[in-house]
Amino acid sequence: MSAVATNLWTIPLFVIIPIITAILLNLLYNKSRTIKVIAIASSIVLFVLALISPYGFQWFTGQPGVTPGGTYTFDASIFSYRLSLEYYFGGLQQILITIMSLLLVFVVFLSASSLRKNIGPYIALIFLLFMSSAIIIMVNDFYHLWIGVEMGSLLLAGVVAASGESISQKAALKYTFFSALSGAGMAIALAMILGVTGYSNITNAIQYIMSDNLSSLSGVLYIAFGFFVLSWIYAGGLAPIHPLKSDVYGSAFPHATVMLQTQSKLMIVAMGLIILRLFGTLPFAREVMLSVSVLTMIMGVTMALIQTDLRWTLAYLVVAHSGLVTLGISLGTVQGITGGLFQAVNDIVYMSVLLICCEAVMYFGKGTSIKTVGGIAKRAPWLALAVVIGAFAASGVPPFNGFQSEIILIQASLSSGLPEVAAIVLMVSVTTFIALFKPIYNIFLKPDNSPIAMEGDAGAGIATMAMVQPTSPVPKSIYLFLAILIAIIIVLGVYPQLALGFVQDTAIKVVYFPWVP
Amino acid sequence: MGSIESLYDKIKNFTAQFFGGKGFSSTMTGYTTAELQASVFLLVLASLFRIFSVPLGIILVIAAIAGVIVFAPLIVTLERENESDLNRVLFWVVIYFAIIIAVTMWGR
Amino acid sequence: MIELTLQFLSFMASALLILIGIAGMLFLDNLIKKIIAFTLLSDGVNLALVSLGYFEGGVVAILTPGTSVAEFPQNAVLIFGPGIVLTNIVIGVSTTAVLVALTMVLYKRYGTLKASKVLKGERK
Repeated sequence: MSAVATNLWTIPLFVIIPIITAILLNLLYNKSRTIKVIAIASSIVLFVLALISPYGFQWFTGQPGVTPGGTYTFDASIFSYRLSLEYYFGGLQQILITIMSLLLVFVVFLSASSLRKNIGPYIALIFLLFMSSAIIIMVNDFYHLWIGVEMGSLLLAGVVAASGESISQKAALKYTFFSALSGAGMAIALAMILGVTGYSNITNAIQYIMSDNLSSLSGVLYIAFGFFVLSWIYAGGLAPIHPLKSDVYGSAFPHATVMLQTQSKLMIVAMGLIILRLFGTLPFAREVMLSVSVLTMIMGVTMALIQTDLRWTLAYLVVAHSGLVTLGISLGTVQGITGGLFQAVNDIVYMSVLLICCEAVMYFGKGTSIKTVGGIAKRAPWLALAVVIGAFAASGVPPFNGFQSEIILIQASLSSGLPEVAAIVLMVSVTTFIALFKPIYNIFLKPDNSPIAMEGDAGAGIATMAMVQPTSPVPKSIYLFLAILIAIIIVLGVYPQLALGFVQDTAIKVVYFPWVP
Repeated sequence: MGSIESLYDKIKNFTAQFFGGKGFSSTMTGYTTAELQASVFLLVLASLFRIFSVPLGIILVIAAIAGVIVFAPLIVTLERENESDLNRVLFWVVIYFAIIIAVTMWGR
Repeated sequence: MIELTLQFLSFMASALLILIGIAGMLFLDNLIKKIIAFTLLSDGVNLALVSLGYFEGGVVAILTPGTSVAEFPQNAVLIFGPGIVLTNIVIGVSTTAVLVALTMVLYKRYGTLKASKVLKGERK
């Protein structure tokens, strides 16, 4: 709220740098050394930018807001007609973009070292994925929100299809069909809100809805809400689209899934907050969001239990834990939203640890199915330690970060008078533990009693085409990335205020001043 | 007596279904856990309806218990409905959308 | 009694297009037909967006030398709709391109365009 600086120099850079990098990488196509240098350099630049950026607005066309009196103001807390499309960079945006750009460094490094062909376009797609996520989390107008979601889903299809297996191409095709449907829905919702309020700026639209009597037009708002929730469900892969989204997560390369799950968490957070700000006063709006989140958690975690492949277990768990994030947001209280946003931060980190471990398991050349791999702990003890810490964090064991956010979520649902939801959160974290320890036991701890690697039989799990040769040693860089991420897990677990300080401000604003971005 | 016995028989048969064949495997344990989880989740979900009205919640919990016993094993149905078949997901999306619109309109 | 204005009729036409599109995507088995159904759907959305800003006797929201500046705001149609339509066309084209490209790849792999065969779940 103290952010008054307008047309902040850093905000356009979060969009421009990835685009320019993507164009360059596309032109370079297959010169892997140059591509690696450029990609890593620009991802580090993005990381530093996110760390040092001040808070403020980017008002497109550079106009200040026009007050009802006809004067101009740059102060965001004063009521004004913004006239323009705008981005906002605040605490929530800073922590999410910082973590995302840190992961971008890792993902770029991993994909540059594990992929063999088409490396330029692939990393370009990953950079564009970063850009679309950055747009969605910073946006404060419907127009960019819609474009960000559409771009994000098309890029996602590209990244998934790049892994070259038939299942990933199918997943990409199915997901793109849905992007067509939900994109159309979102355009209609947009048109309805524009028709009712006349503003494309979310702040102004909320002010209009709150200050003017819309009882004759509220039916239009309900249908707009329905379409918005539909595209929210689609973008985050919540129930009932979770089978498609888990297909997407499970069939992409695990390092790409790191970026994909980050993108979908950011989409969930950004769109969920916008829905809450716009429609939070409608009856049953929160109940609808809550039921979607509860169903997502239940479906995701139950389906995770019956998977026999670490990759697919993780795919379903990512979906289930998206439900935890949306649960916090849909509770609609300060505590709940804080818990949900903190859960998003934690979730991105610990799921990345687990996914990078999954990628490392692939280097042993037998895929990630519990039927084919075994005894990895003996050959890579540090990897086993990392995956166990990741599983502990995911299932909310105390010294790690998952505990801190899950306990806030449980407290929030108890104080909202929903003990059943608290019980479901608890059950989800316990079930996460069970679902993860089945593959961890079989892959890492059980002795390897399958003498020959069955290359053809390993199903969807095995890295076949473009990945490196089987049984090449796990690169040292993976251990470095895991160490950094585990350090973040432990630091956030011991000292949660570090992240809570960033997200609490947003939660307070969403509940008490919904028109302030 | 009769009804209790048949209920017991049902539960016994239901648990025995999981341990047919060659005892248990790492796949089967997952299915058993998921079945138990799914039934408990269903009960908790039914009890959530008490926020609308308490008698409705009680009726739904009883119905859910009956449903869990009658339709066991649930996980088979759940797995089938969770297939990533495009038309199936589209169907569920249309149903969801209809429910969302109906509920919010009704709330007005 | 609802008045059968041009705006109302074009809203009905767009609803019809959207319904045909959704029904096509749901019930047609051929992937190319599904894609055509999607283009119908997005055309319906575009029509809805354009008719949103329409009113009887409105002018295009471009200030031309002949028009008076004072009357222009009252006469101009809502500009947001056409603005979004332009973007929606671009998005629609790129989505169609991705869909067709993926369909081509899958056709080469399976030799058929039947969604029930190509898109069947393949897991474990």
